[in-house]
Amino acid sequence: MSGIRILDARSVTKRFGGLVAVDEVDIHVDQGEVLGLIGPNGSGKTTLFNCLTRVHNIDGGSIEFKGKDITSKKPYQVARMGLARTFQVIRVYGDLTIEENLVLSQQWGALPTHRSFTKAHRDLHDKAAEIAEFLLLSKHLRTKAGTLSGGQRRLLELGMTLMPDPDLILLDEATSGINPSLIETIKDRLAVLNNKGLTLLLVEHDIRFISDLCTRVIVLNYGRKLADGTPDEIKSDERVLEAYFGDDGSTDVE
Amino acid sequence: MDQLLQALVNGVMLGGFYAIMVLGFSIIWGVMGVINLAHGEFVMMGAYGAWILQESLGLDPLVSVFIVFPVMAAFGYAIQRLIINRIIERPHLISLLVTFGLASIISNVFKLLFTATPRSVEASIHGLWQVGPVTIPKTRSMILIAALIIMYSLHMFLKHTRLGKSIRAAAQNREAARIVGIEINKVYAITFAIAIGITAVAGVMVAPVQPVFPFMGPPLTLRAFAITALSGLGSIIGALFGGMLLGIIEVLLATFIPGIGTNVGIVSSFVILVIVLVVRPQGLFGGLKAATT
Amino acid sequence: MRGGTTFRKVSLGLLVAAIVGLATLPMIQRYATDGGFVTNSTLFNFTQMFMLIIVASSWNLTGGFTGYVDFGHGVWFGIGAYGTGVLMSKLGWPFPVAVAGAVAITVLAALLLGGPILRLRGPYFSIAMLATFVAVREIIRIVKPITGGGIGLTLPPYLNRPLFFYITLILAVVVVAFTWWLRRTQFGLTLIAIREDEIGADMRGINTTLHKITVFGLSAAITGLVGALWAYQNTFIDPDIVFVDSRTMDVIIAVILGGLGTVAGPVIGAVVLFWARDIIWANFLQFHLIVQGIVLIAIVLWVPEGIVGTFSDRSGGTTLGRLMSKRKGEPSSDEAVGSPDDEPRTVSS
Repeated sequence: MSGIRILDARSVTKRFGGLVAVDEVDIHVDQGEVLGLIGPNGSGKTTLFNCLTRVHNIDGGSIEFKGKDITSKKPYQVARMGLARTFQVIRVYGDLTIEENLVLSQQWGALPTHRSFTKAHRDLHDKAAEIAEFLLLSKHLRTKAGTLSGGQRRLLELGMTLMPDPDLILLDEATSGINPSLIETIKDRLAVLNNKGLTLLLVEHDIRFISDLCTRVIVLNYGRKLADGTPDEIKSDERVLEAYFGDDGSTDVE
Repeated sequence: MDQLLQALVNGVMLGGFYAIMVLGFSIIWGVMGVINLAHGEFVMMGAYGAWILQESLGLDPLVSVFIVFPVMAAFGYAIQRLIINRIIERPHLISLLVTFGLASIISNVFKLLFTATPRSVEASIHGLWQVGPVTIPKTRSMILIAALIIMYSLHMFLKHTRLGKSIRAAAQNREAARIVGIEINKVYAITFAIAIGITAVAGVMVAPVQPVFPFMGPPLTLRAFAITALSGLGSIIGALFGGMLLGIIEVLLATFIPGIGTNVGIVSSFVILVIVLVVRPQGLFGGLKAATT
Repeated sequence: MRGGTTFRKVSLGLLVAAIVGLATLPMIQRYATDGGFVTNSTLFNFTQMFMLIIVASSWNLTGGFTGYVDFGHGVWFGIGAYGTGVLMSKLGWPFPVAVAGAVAITVLAALLLGGPILRLRGPYFSIAMLATFVAVREIIRIVKPITGGGIGLTLPPYLNRPLFFYITLILAVVVVAFTWWLRRTQFGLTLIAIREDEIGADMRGINTTLHKITVFGLSAAITGLVGALWAYQNTFIDPDIVFVDSRTMDVIIAVILGGLGTVAGPVIGAVVLFWARDIIWANFLQFHLIVQGIVLIAIVLWVPEGIVGTFSDRSGGTTLGRLMSKRKGEPSSDEAVGSPDDEPRTVSS
């Protein structure tokens, strides 16, 4: 793996009461790569995401983003540094239009300035329109996000992460509950973005999606890192197969 | 030292009342997910029950309990069927608004019926016990004993009867309870009835030691909320300890800070609540989560 | 948006006409024979209605736009009223200075209390505000040397109905126009974003705490200003008439009746509630609060969209409808960042 290390987390540990949800996990992401994070349900993927984006306070370890320690930063500060994410359960602002959703994700509502009087605002709206077009949402620009379909809201979420020109995007199950043709769209858009140099970290259940996109895959099980390698190496790893199809039957119970 | 001991004893006595007062609130929130802002008004109704029965029939509050409980349980059943049933499993905002309205209706109906004049109720067991340096008011100790008896009975009821088990099942998982054949709406109605019955009993018990008037409810509702949020929803032991803790803190503050009446108890209870929720969002006894950012 | 622009022009025209019409009322009283149909009590009633509009609009900033439903909003009214009361009667400040001082005190109190209280969510916030209201009333009772305790304070009498009429009319127009403008700014959008999904907003770079505290302070300032004016108009304050439980309920009912989270809702709701109540008040004084409670329950259960929501075709429903149709387990409350599910509901021993 070459390139600059953009995210570097060491021995990240998170406990909920007696349960160790994430257990001393080392994870790093290099500039320009697409890293996949897989594991059975309940293996700690989303919790790890939440630790990395500072939703949870971690009980041990350290997280560096672009060479700066973010272990004690607030979620919004981490976001402003260029670490964007999507969510397992879709989060968009339902009562706002797609355009407003997109604009807010860049502007952060810092000042009570009126819409679109300044050049900066016009640029922002142009950018929102551009991203909406890239994600095939142009004709819904003035539609309230709450009325979109699940797939369109996934795309909007992706658009919202793109607005502030992030350095790294964490995607949490971008394909769950989405119809197959939209999955292809999402995959295609992600590939385009990666070609342009965007770094991605994906949590995914769709193994085909992972092997098509990722250059490297990390497998979590019971909060621990089980394997780390290329998609092909992972597919033939005994321990991974054991974790997924082993005796505990935890593959589809959350 | 004596003063401290006395304050602690008084706090435990007051805590006994809080514990029994909070039970119904805690159960309704725990089982139905409804935050009942009219809770204090049900306590007030119980207290008026004691007053009415004493004025008309000359009954002692200890006897009135056995009349007030079934009457108020029936009233609770009716209210559940009429209103509460429509707001179960819906967002808290709805239950807050609806029960806020209900509280206004109940308290103002009572004002209309009985005026705002504070009433007092006499208990036949009154006077003081002197134990060493500490005086124990007999009426308040009766409240404490009654609270413990009611809590133990409720505990046994929930644990060992079929109906009690259904209530617990409904609280844990509504869908699963329905699948195993529990008539969930009936369970909810009965739970509400029992909770209101107990709440009214708390009102009967407190009538001899506190003036009874139509607007005594809101401070009690606020304390019930604070205690429940601190001690965990639907937890009997939590209600007991939470009630005691709040009672002791209130009395200590009132004893050692001049000029502060027990009225400021609400302030202390909410200062504690906010601090605890901010520091430890899951509550003291682990019953609660997601109250804060 | 069918026929949106025409409709808008017509309603804007009607609105301006109504404001101008209202503004002439004191003139009619002054120059018509025997005051025409306008009496001092007419002016007084309208002043009260304007105050309700202003307070409802300011409540709507936190409750409607930001989704922090405040059950103790009357506390800001009370602090504002006592601010003027103390500054005028104890320190002898002139009215305008005292009002400014009262608003400053209210904002300060809101910023101090907002820090911890705004960390609470949903019902916890609502009820903590209710507790704040009750607590402040008790504190006012206790600090007798400053507030006069239960006896209250008497302000220098000043009976000028037209003055208060014009002040509150102008203030109502300004505040409603301000909320209309605010809703369209980035700041306003951010408030909606916080209501829709606070955690998501936080993780997308929005400093939610800063926004919440700002809007909380703003809302308190506007309500505190109304309280400050009210105290002087009333010339006498004590804890029971200033901190009336039903004042917060009036505001909540007005906003929900009109349409939570809309700009026009608080205005329409306040007007309808005020005159409806005036009719009830006149005929069944003692039933007033009972009817009010029934009205609140009825609106919440049967017309949650309010007047504005019922008569417009907003896609996606109105705020209350949205907040209400949202199941507890859905995102935008605290759960569902992936952490375990719903609020634990158990009965244990």
